[in-house]
Amino acid sequence: MKTRYKGLILLLVVIIISSAYSLYKSNKQEEVFIKGYIGGEKIGLVEDEQVKKILDKKYSIKLDYRKAGSYDMIRAEHTGFDYLWPSSQTALDLYDKTYGKPKQSEIIFNTPIVIYSRKMVVEPLIKGGYVYQKDGVYYMDMEKFMPVLENVTKWKDIGVNLYDTVVVHTTNPAKSNSGNMFTGLLANMLNGGSVVQDSEVDSLIPRLKTIIGRLGFTESSSADLFSQFLKLGVSARPLVAGYESQLIEFANTSPDDYNAIKDDVVMIYPVPTVWSSHVYIALSDNGRRVVEAMMDSEIQKIAWEGHGFRTGVVSDTSKIKVSGVAESLSGIIQMPSSSVMLKIIKALE
Amino acid sequence: MKKTTRNMIIAVFLFILVSNVFSYINKKDEPNGTQNAGLGNATWKDELYIVSGSENKELEPILERFSNENKISLHMKYQGSVDIARELGNKEIAYDAVWPASSMWISIGDTNHVVKHTESVSITPVVFGIRQSLAEKLGFTKGDVSVRDILAKIRSGELSFCMTSATQSNSGCSAYIGFLYALLGSPEMITEEMLSSPQLADDIKALLAGVDRSSGSSEWLKTLFLEGDFDAMVNYESLILTTNEELRKQGREELYIVYPYDGLSISDAPLGYIDKGDSKKEENFLKLKNYLMSPEIQKEIQSYGRRTGFKGIADENRKLWEKNPGAKADIIISPIRMPAPDTLKAALGLYQTEFRKPSFTVYVLDYSGSMSGNPLKQLRRAMSEILLQENAAKNLLQASSDEKNAVLLFSSDIISLEYASGNIDIEKLNNAVQKTGANGGTAMYEALNKALSIMSDVDLSLYNPAIILMTDGVANGSLTFSDFEKAYLSSDLPVPVFSISFGNADVDELGRIAKLTQARVFDGASDLVSAFRKAKGYN
Repeated sequence: MKTRYKGLILLLVVIIISSAYSLYKSNKQEEVFIKGYIGGEKIGLVEDEQVKKILDKKYSIKLDYRKAGSYDMIRAEHTGFDYLWPSSQTALDLYDKTYGKPKQSEIIFNTPIVIYSRKMVVEPLIKGGYVYQKDGVYYMDMEKFMPVLENVTKWKDIGVNLYDTVVVHTTNPAKSNSGNMFTGLLANMLNGGSVVQDSEVDSLIPRLKTIIGRLGFTESSSADLFSQFLKLGVSARPLVAGYESQLIEFANTSPDDYNAIKDDVVMIYPVPTVWSSHVYIALSDNGRRVVEAMMDSEIQKIAWEGHGFRTGVVSDTSKIKVSGVAESLSGIIQMPSSSVMLKIIKALE
Repeated sequence: MKKTTRNMIIAVFLFILVSNVFSYINKKDEPNGTQNAGLGNATWKDELYIVSGSENKELEPILERFSNENKISLHMKYQGSVDIARELGNKEIAYDAVWPASSMWISIGDTNHVVKHTESVSITPVVFGIRQSLAEKLGFTKGDVSVRDILAKIRSGELSFCMTSATQSNSGCSAYIGFLYALLGSPEMITEEMLSSPQLADDIKALLAGVDRSSGSSEWLKTLFLEGDFDAMVNYESLILTTNEELRKQGREELYIVYPYDGLSISDAPLGYIDKGDSKKEENFLKLKNYLMSPEIQKEIQSYGRRTGFKGIADENRKLWEKNPGAKADIIISPIRMPAPDTLKAALGLYQTEFRKPSFTVYVLDYSGSMSGNPLKQLRRAMSEILLQENAAKNLLQASSDEKNAVLLFSSDIISLEYASGNIDIEKLNNAVQKTGANGGTAMYEALNKALSIMSDVDLSLYNPAIILMTDGVANGSLTFSDFEKAYLSSDLPVPVFSISFGNADVDELGRIAKLTQARVFDGASDLVSAFRKAKGYN
């Protein structure tokens, strides 16, 4: 008899706990899986355990994603997807033009385009006056560098002991945002340093095509290109266009590996450079819930300190493990308008 | 209360029943090639299907350890890069993870955006390995060597070499594109226009005529090299280092490693997860990835001759490079820039149809009684994939204008034998394949002897010859293996006999044929079409 009661009591306890839990669950906002496309450079952020925890505990959100370039994702199949998270305003404009206004769109973070390189390349570039240092931050004089890039120049001719000719590796400008923005910057520079207008773009396209065409096969994702920069070695990727956030994130997520390369790898801010705006596009009501969550001050703090995404005008670099990060950037040039960029994308496809 | 208890018990039973049914259904989704021995234990519930470049086969000891420590079975399917890229483009992908030789193939193939968590596991450059005394004689052991220097020696006939097929394997593709650059005078970038130059066609044909043997996979090229007597091969540095290990054991001459300064290319071995929404699989994949990327395992992978990490080669692994002639642990590798996808596709198409050394293939096909019904249907489909050029083009297996093909059907005797030259007549060979019925015995060696005699009438130095034998039974004609062995050795023809086993084929005997002729056996049981495609990819 006694044992039988024990069993019943145990059963009762289980029932009470489970009903209490389901009561708690029903009071909490219903948990949703939110599915979308994001640019590879933000995967580290959404895979961050702390970020996942905040999304789950505070907002009852589980973020699911597929990786795609900013422009690839606009053209991809959206049925059943709740959001797109490209890295530029131009991608949003492309969305607007194709599908009309989305449910909601919001710039969540910003990050400047930078050029990554290594000491053995940068030192001769400093000697040649293409790169300079100010307050421990490296800058590249784009106006001076453009002829080197445009006229086929051997590395050896500018004092760099590498085989081959000078190129800046970018991602595919028709598919991925970092390559696209660097191309926008190049277009502005070819235009004498002023923002390219619709009436000017046609005459610049052949010159842009030559510079980008020399790259041949280009990666579709900024994350892949950055990892090649780190792993394939200086000769394979001497200069690489990417996001400032990438090195900051790498230093946080792989501190040992970062320590192994930190004396060799150099982050250079082009002067001028362009801002990449990581604009979130909600496609469904569920998708909209992410906007509020990402604006959470805790997540914004993690985004900057752990992953290098800027959330304000001036950023506190004392919390950043990477040296040579600029507190604020003054030499910013606007990207050409989306109609200009769409023309360029079309020509480069 | 009692009722609740009973209900709960019923509920639990139902749950168990349903979940078993589900796991049964899931099991049925497993891709072809399940019989490929998995690493780990077949009873484990957790498993990952990985489609990988053949060069990763060498890492199986590490994979097996992971499998046992985590109780996750790993099913490795080794395929060429082109196949892997095509697989990724399918709506339904049969694998959980992908591990090609270069991230380029994921970029080209992943049109569905399903690959994530990609990370390069190790780096190894494509290099030339040349018999040391020959490398010395040719002057490659002193100073910097360019691809052009090597090409000059190939064209003068002083050097012949083996490489994998450019359209089937990443190392062959890299080498081929490297050759094109060099022959075009190192342009900034190869364009489609340049590819149509008649001068280039002459030059690259002359060069590829120096290819001694071709192979569909980099790992097997190493095996072939070890079994044969060749001067040089183009392959991954890691595979040349392990080839030398074997050569030293056998007391043979080592290969001197030449890193051309104007570049071939670098394999970055990216391991990526194929997302199909199964969080358990994703968790298991991440376990595998984190295991392979852990500092201890990265160091161990280095001991296989691959470059890992950010600090260069670790002290304890340096001796591996130091003991190999020409090997440079700290070399700065300068790879070529690969052309844009459209140009690459055009270049590979030209390789297959114009530039490569023409192949001479005799298909020896078993039409014995046991083939009737479904087996014959599959065989007919497989042959249509190769002989009908529109189908062949999908897998970059088209015939070239100079190649020769023959189809020999046999049962108790030879049923028919037809020839075709070039890439137009080849489609006619399909008629007999589609129309002939199956009955009678398996006079396999009679058929093979006939195929050999066809080969002996032709100047084989102009071709990449191969016999592709497909059989589903045991030879029961009057000739035996030893008769064939005698005939083969006395003919002195460098013809590999690749076989595709099916049904009750005697795999051991096919293995002996492969060993005798320096070829290999492909398993056609799970997928005859892909076995034929693979075999064809070897010449």
